[in-house]
Amino acid sequence: MNDDGSLVRLEGIHKWFGGLHVLRGIDLKIVPKEVVVLIGPSGSGKSTLLRSINLLEEPTEGRVFFDGMDLTDIQTNLNEARTHMGMVFQQFNLFPHLTATENITLALIKVLKLSKEEAVERAHQQLGHVGLSDKTESHPSQLSGGQQQRVAIARSLAMQPKMMLFDEVTSALDPELIGEVLGVMQDLASEGMTMVVVTHEMGFAREVGTRLLFLDEGVIVEEGIPAEVIAHPRHTRTQAFLAEVL
Amino acid sequence: MVTTTPDTLSPPDRGIRWFLQNQTSWSRAVLGSAAGVLSFYIIGAIAVLTSHGWTGICPEGVTRLECSPSDPLAEGLKSDGLGLVATIALLVGLVITAAAITSWKRMPNKSAREAVIAGGVLSSQVMALAGFLLWFRATDVDRFARNFLNISLIGEKAGLAWGTVTDSIGSIAGLMLAWAVVAATLAGIYAWLRKTRPRLVVYAALVGAGGGLVWGLIRIASVPSFIKGAQNTLVLSAAGAALGFGLGLVVALFAMSKRAVVRAPARIYINFFRGTPLIWQIMFAGVGLVPALGLDLSMYTVAILVLGFNLAAYSSEVYRAGIQSLERGQIEASRTLGLSYFQSMRYVIVPQAIRRVIPPLLNEFVILIKDTSLISVLGLTLAQKELLGIGRTIYASSFDATAWLGAAAGYLIITLPMIGIVTIVERRLRSGLTSVIG
Repeated sequence: MNDDGSLVRLEGIHKWFGGLHVLRGIDLKIVPKEVVVLIGPSGSGKSTLLRSINLLEEPTEGRVFFDGMDLTDIQTNLNEARTHMGMVFQQFNLFPHLTATENITLALIKVLKLSKEEAVERAHQQLGHVGLSDKTESHPSQLSGGQQQRVAIARSLAMQPKMMLFDEVTSALDPELIGEVLGVMQDLASEGMTMVVVTHEMGFAREVGTRLLFLDEGVIVEEGIPAEVIAHPRHTRTQAFLAEVL
Repeated sequence: MVTTTPDTLSPPDRGIRWFLQNQTSWSRAVLGSAAGVLSFYIIGAIAVLTSHGWTGICPEGVTRLECSPSDPLAEGLKSDGLGLVATIALLVGLVITAAAITSWKRMPNKSAREAVIAGGVLSSQVMALAGFLLWFRATDVDRFARNFLNISLIGEKAGLAWGTVTDSIGSIAGLMLAWAVVAATLAGIYAWLRKTRPRLVVYAALVGAGGGLVWGLIRIASVPSFIKGAQNTLVLSAAGAALGFGLGLVVALFAMSKRAVVRAPARIYINFFRGTPLIWQIMFAGVGLVPALGLDLSMYTVAILVLGFNLAAYSSEVYRAGIQSLERGQIEASRTLGLSYFQSMRYVIVPQAIRRVIPPLLNEFVILIKDTSLISVLGLTLAQKELLGIGRTIYASSFDATAWLGAAAGYLIITLPMIGIVTIVERRLRSGLTSVIG
């Protein structure tokens, strides 16, 4: 935890891609057990903001504090810090040459230095957690999109992270497979996991989110309790966006 | 509401039997006669040439103008019999081609149309072959045969006399046994460790025995000979490949660094070796660097080093393309799990990239096999000469250009199986591509 009781604190984050100003001064605090939902139109910078939290995108300006560490400090051990922050991607990004179990055990063995037996046991436990006990030896190509995404979630959870980042994790899924992934995320939230979720699923945002942020053109335009923001958006840009997606 | 699921149907036969059943009597006649005239031409030509003989024996001490071992072959080529075979093939081929051109559109179904087209193409190929032979007979066949068709020379210079083989049959059998045992043991350990199928052991034993046979024959071959040349070609390319493929991966990783100071030397290395001719590199190293620096290296070692360094430059670009073809998400996912850059490369990126680069790397290997011929600019001993050097040596002593054909045959014997392997591996990997990309 940071000294102000937050788990993550972003201070004055700016990000330029060449001449493109994608994030324009973001300040954000996330406390443990929060489920922060980021919504916004395409190109609003919500994925970049999420990726700034674990420094997959290095902010051009500003500082990122996580669990008492300044991630933007060059001397911080970023690899170590990242083991405490799980991330799940839109395109799953499972390692296709490894089985479901091996996808999970790789980092457990090489980063956390667990023994192979411990790692496999933890992998099987996590696969059971996401309802895939029968797919432990399957390669990603043998799994449906929803199953692959659940393996990806299990892979992150096996590291026993302090928070999870979700980047449009249901956007690449067929409609009938979205439910199984959202279900896993809902369970995770109810277990008290701190989560930051970029999503287009307004139902999920309303029911699972504890706070909703609406981003547009690189700034947080509006924030509040999800149900209230969705029902009564105050800002015209939020109103316009919600009118499009609802 | 009652819904019915249709029965699962097996796919209809579209194979060779279906093809034959759909033929009309006309399409059958066109394809059949085209195949007939092709076999007539090939079998007829071989029969005529064989009746005259492929090589002959000349008495000692006569000049090649008076008698050449190629004389019987030259007579066969000039004979009226061969002329008759070629003329008949040309005329019949012409008739069938014309028939096919005028009728293929009128065939009632696809199978019949394909048969008529195949018949027309086949018969026109027969026309081309027969026409070429008729043109060739009109040239100075005697002179050509004396220079290029002395087949007995290839046999003589192959390096193995029947007597030497029978004398060493014991040692060859011993080598085959030893290699088979070693290969089978290694395969057995592998199969036991990886819990794969034990059939692998049998294959390994067979491959080992085959390798032992080849090695045994190579060992007893005389110097200089085509077999010894092939051995050197193989050793040079295998050693060059081991160096080049290993070094190439390291260079590729350097060339992809985000730091310019790491990237620059790798780029300079790649651009230098890709930008200068290999033959220049071989000459500069062998004739320039080694004596100038007083290095204690044999020319054979220099050749392997230069071939390896050159291959490293080309293969590093192949590796780089393979690695960069992977999705960015792979390294992002890996870094997110806390793996370092080098761990991500080692466990996630390179294992996937290797599968993609195997076919292009095998192509580079085939190119390397042929490039070994460039080392002939170095002063190598007779025992060190590779195929082209052997061809040149034999030509220099016999003034018989058939030696070049022997060298070409040697390259083809080595490269054709390699090209076959490339094709098979490519097909395998492509069919597995869906599982690689997911």
